[in-house]
Amino acid sequence: MGFFGRGAGLMPVFPSPSGPAEIMDVTTEEAAVRAPSGSSIAVTPLVREGELVAQGAAVACLRHAPNVCLTAPIAGRVARISLLPGRKLSEIVLFREEGAGRQHHDVSNAGTTTGLRRLMQEAGFWPLLRRRPFGGMPAQDETPAAVFVMATDTRPFAFSPAMALHGREKPLADGLEALTRMTSGPVFLCQPEGPSVVPTDGLSDQIKLVFRGQRHPQGAAGLCIHEHFPAGLDVPVWDINAEDVANLGNLIATGEAEVLRTVHIAGAALREAQTVRTHSGADLRQLTQRIVAPGPHVLMSGSPLDGHPARWLGPRDRQITVMPRSGPQPRPHWLISALTASREARPVIPTAALTQALASALPAAPFVRALAAGDDEAAVSFGLLSLLEEDIALLDYVLSEGGTLPAQLRAMLDRIAKEFAA
Amino acid sequence: MSRGLWNRETVALMLLAAYLPLALFWLSAGRADALGRLGLCALVVAVWHLVFMLVRAQPPSLSALITALAIAVFAPEDLGVFRLVLGISFGVVMGELVFGGWGRNVVNPATVALSFLGFGFPAFAWPDFDAPVAWAAIPAAVIGVGTGAMSAALLGGAAIVAVIAFGMGLLPEPVLLVAGLGLVLLVADPVTCAATTFGRWLNGAVYAALVLMFASNWDGAAPAQIVVAASLLSSLAAPLIDELVLAIWISQRRRRHGRT
Repeated sequence: MGFFGRGAGLMPVFPSPSGPAEIMDVTTEEAAVRAPSGSSIAVTPLVREGELVAQGAAVACLRHAPNVCLTAPIAGRVARISLLPGRKLSEIVLFREEGAGRQHHDVSNAGTTTGLRRLMQEAGFWPLLRRRPFGGMPAQDETPAAVFVMATDTRPFAFSPAMALHGREKPLADGLEALTRMTSGPVFLCQPEGPSVVPTDGLSDQIKLVFRGQRHPQGAAGLCIHEHFPAGLDVPVWDINAEDVANLGNLIATGEAEVLRTVHIAGAALREAQTVRTHSGADLRQLTQRIVAPGPHVLMSGSPLDGHPARWLGPRDRQITVMPRSGPQPRPHWLISALTASREARPVIPTAALTQALASALPAAPFVRALAAGDDEAAVSFGLLSLLEEDIALLDYVLSEGGTLPAQLRAMLDRIAKEFAA
Repeated sequence: MSRGLWNRETVALMLLAAYLPLALFWLSAGRADALGRLGLCALVVAVWHLVFMLVRAQPPSLSALITALAIAVFAPEDLGVFRLVLGISFGVVMGELVFGGWGRNVVNPATVALSFLGFGFPAFAWPDFDAPVAWAAIPAAVIGVGTGAMSAALLGGAAIVAVIAFGMGLLPEPVLLVAGLGLVLLVADPVTCAATTFGRWLNGAVYAALVLMFASNWDGAAPAQIVVAASLLSSLAAPLIDELVLAIWISQRRRRHGRT
């Protein structure tokens, strides 16, 4: 134990019942295709309502990058396509029908860089990638300077990716090898301390193994990137979950885009926790129906730190948190509310909690002060471009800020992106 | 939305908890006189916090009590109410509240107030402390570091220099005791000490070195005077130390990764 290096970080405790150890396979009766969280994308639907689609078939493509497709997570019938103004995707809902089958992708060109890129875009793997700086899905022709494969997750209630990958070492190794064709830089495999999740012999030199500690945010992609290969304005770095890389390996070997993901369901409003193997866009209500405790509750896609209330499992989320819904708060005294409404934000005090909430990886107090002051230049020099909202979710939680820090980070990233584009 | 608890007031509460043993020892040594002084200091600081809340919508903070305790412990004796109120008002308003309250200030308001009193009224004697009161700095440091409100690096940096100097016989014992008290009460304030880990080592060492320098070269200075002067100078040096450490950190990252 220590407060430096791999020992740095915190282990926030949230109440949750325990559950059975085995993993249940669940395909939900309804599923939805949504935009990756935090981004809005303009799409062209490729199917009509009422049409039958195979699992893995494209249901929509990006309006300005028609190669990048969003695919159906389950085989079924298109129930509803709802677009927001400007053809922004809201959701495409599917009803499950077994007869629709499974899409077979042509993998004959997967050995080349362009072929692999095309395959990943066609088979719906592109939205699973996330680029830094600024977040979101990479542009269709972007070449990353490095790729981070996250086989560790230290968020509270996270299911160990090492256990989720147990028995899938071969597809994972294949997927890693494939990713090395996407970049001339290194491919980092971040994993928890202990035995490697992938056999190390026979791996190419481009693949680098990185071992991370147990405490949050050691397993956050942003902190790994910050320490091993910081992203820059013209140095894009991608990150992807290791399970998706194993799915990619499977796709290249079989041509079938199986989108398995191991999801842990936990939270204070449950009778028992559960781990299920399901698909993206799964129906949270069906997954939690049998295990939720009586009373009002909130379904969140994501961890208690960075999750958001949702109906469907987010495209990259691997956790479902069910929290009790608190009733309406009694109104405070008018003098109290007048004083609190007009008051300035309280400043952050640099303590050990602040340093550990960023795993001692960057000067926490100057970084938070730069965020609060809107000092882009200082924040960038401390490593802002490698970070996204979810990496500082723990910091925001620990400091009891209630969401101001991620909002400041997002505003600053948007401002820098705008300046960079100009 | 669930929230953690390390906001500003929690840190202030943790610091208060750390200072509690020290305050009790000091009060039991000084009795009614000390209690009256602490009460007066707390009243004046609280009034200024209230004024800034009503005029500038600045939320008041429990750190007012910490400031009051530090001033009451170190203020020169027999100043009289008027001078004490003047000194506290200057320190609290100019040292803290005009910057936006605790967390945005550059120097510790208690240090400013004490320096003001020291410079303004040099005829009054500085207090001296019984050994038990000074030793109570140790539990304060332990609780402060244990809760994370005080920096272990800062205390460590000061301790290393102090131990070496004491071993070489350069630091007289009365000054060492009061310097420990000043370290936890004035220098270890998490807001005004350096904010980076290595910077805190340096900050602690700078404080101890300043105490050492004043103790050996400043003829006729009382230990408390030495400590207040050293804490003022070291807290003024803290932003500089931080800048230095951050510049080194950034250049190291540039060398290693080619960018930050």
